[in-house]
Amino acid sequence: MEPQDRIMDGDLQTLGLQSILKMLALSGKTGTLLVHSGPETLVISLRKGQLVALHEEGVPQPDLLGMLCLLNKLDPPGAHRLREASQGNPQVALGIMVEQGWMSLNEMQRRLEFDVTQSISHALRWVDGRFAFHRHMIPMESKMQPLDVDSVLLEALRQADEWEEMGETALTRTTVSRWLPEVSKDVRSLGLNQEHIDVLCLSNGEIPLQGMALALTLPEARVVHIMSRLIELHLIEVVDTSLEAELQQDLSNIIIMCQHTLAQQRQNSTPVQHLLGLINTQGQCINGLLVHHGTYAKGLRGRGQLPVSEIVRYLERRFSQQLQLLAGQQYPILETVTFVNGQLDYSEIINLDSLVKGEQLEEFYWEAVLGLGAFLRTVFTVLLQDEVGNSHTGRQLSVVWKAFLTEVEQEMQQYNLYRAHQHAQQNRNRRTDASSNGQNRNGSSPLAFNEGNAQWGTPETQRRLI
Amino acid sequence: MVEPTVLVVDDSPTVRKIVQMTLQREHIRVITASDGLSALTSVADEIPAVILLDIQLPRMDGYHICQIIRKNLQFRQIPIIMLSGKDGLFDKMRGRLAGSTEYLTKPFDSVELVQTVKKHLVDWQSRMPQRNDDMRPRLRRRS
Repeated sequence: MEPQDRIMDGDLQTLGLQSILKMLALSGKTGTLLVHSGPETLVISLRKGQLVALHEEGVPQPDLLGMLCLLNKLDPPGAHRLREASQGNPQVALGIMVEQGWMSLNEMQRRLEFDVTQSISHALRWVDGRFAFHRHMIPMESKMQPLDVDSVLLEALRQADEWEEMGETALTRTTVSRWLPEVSKDVRSLGLNQEHIDVLCLSNGEIPLQGMALALTLPEARVVHIMSRLIELHLIEVVDTSLEAELQQDLSNIIIMCQHTLAQQRQNSTPVQHLLGLINTQGQCINGLLVHHGTYAKGLRGRGQLPVSEIVRYLERRFSQQLQLLAGQQYPILETVTFVNGQLDYSEIINLDSLVKGEQLEEFYWEAVLGLGAFLRTVFTVLLQDEVGNSHTGRQLSVVWKAFLTEVEQEMQQYNLYRAHQHAQQNRNRRTDASSNGQNRNGSSPLAFNEGNAQWGTPETQRRLI
Repeated sequence: MVEPTVLVVDDSPTVRKIVQMTLQREHIRVITASDGLSALTSVADEIPAVILLDIQLPRMDGYHICQIIRKNLQFRQIPIIMLSGKDGLFDKMRGRLAGSTEYLTKPFDSVELVQTVKKHLVDWQSRMPQRNDDMRPRLRRRS
């Protein structure tokens, strides 16, 4: 926009948004009003003193179609088609919905008016900032009927007053909430009304309060009240989005690191090395996850810098029982694994090659792979449930985790194939030997001898001996 | 607004999912391919703004894919970020000779990944060739 097009400008402390809009409306102006405050900008188009379009910049635009899906007013395939057809423009999407008969013209107009009112109501609370009015109109896609500035201002001021009346609250228009994962009670018995249920439906850990207000066409202050009530009832919690992004990054880095280790161990030539590679990958992954959980566990958050000993105690308390359970019930080799300074010490497994060799070593390593694999799954499940629950981030991380586990399982499958091949080969050899030696069938064949005189006994006995 | 599309070519589903999750958080659309041939099909179909390309791939390696893309007049402008566990000088040189724009060594940091991709997304709209359906069969035949 050219500077010569600017008719007037100034700061909001000298002339408030309310006065500017009234003045422009009274004089029947046509043009674009730009209002800046911090990173946010409001672009308002006026034609002959009437408000014809409004656009907010500097704030993420909520996904209206996604929210309508959550409210069961639109199905996901329909939303996908609409997104493609409208190229992500919500105004165009609403227009298509009206054309398709999925929404009435009145409802569209009501939604668009509400959007404008909500944005102006928010901007009316800005204290610092600047404005400029240009005579040229910025072309903006708008399906909205021109609005009378006075009536928009009246409603916006009413909403701004409601917000002020709430007093001190920790919730802002960018607050994101999500369902608490451990909710097991029947929400129907809590006396929630439709508005509460709608906010609950939209609390998926992604949608900001402002977006909820837009989807439900409820004033933001009203949504704050509902959200506060749901928090009191322990149905939702406030999401710290920056912490969650950081947590996601950290977990991604751990998984990438472990996938890299897994890919590298594929080059191992012998089965024992292959198994050792899997043990190291899984052990490294478990320890990475433990370090991560020591930083992001819910029970350790918001308490400032904690002594390492307390973090170690927390981690051991949280996971040692599961490890003991696995060792006692399924994988006795895990009895050799201990917690040292909040990390899993599996060096005894790694050093088993100094005690046993050959097939026995393979047997032990294989059990360790299975046992550590089971413990790895447990650690990740506990960690994810505690840190992010069944939120959007949690679900995304679960998908990534499943992909990683599939790769680990493929590697284990490789070893299983090798074992099956080995057994088949051994059986063939034994059969060949038996027929060539004209063996007697009274237990003196090499196979029977081995079985009958196995000095190491069962794998369980062998382990205890070691 | 149209989101930029990044094509991720890697045979590891873990890497594909992690890159997808990381970039989608930054409002970058991600499409994926697990081998060379499907990567070339995706390039012709979607014309991505940036390609993240692993070197060791089934059927056709990353260097070869990179060369094919660079020889095509319509797609040669697309930045290609090689993604590999190999961090030796020789591999980097080989990647550069094949026409890669940048090299990211595995295991990469997700912040570094986002920064690198964003660096190459600057002006992507002005760089992007127009979708041309005639190109698709030609590219497919070549591959």
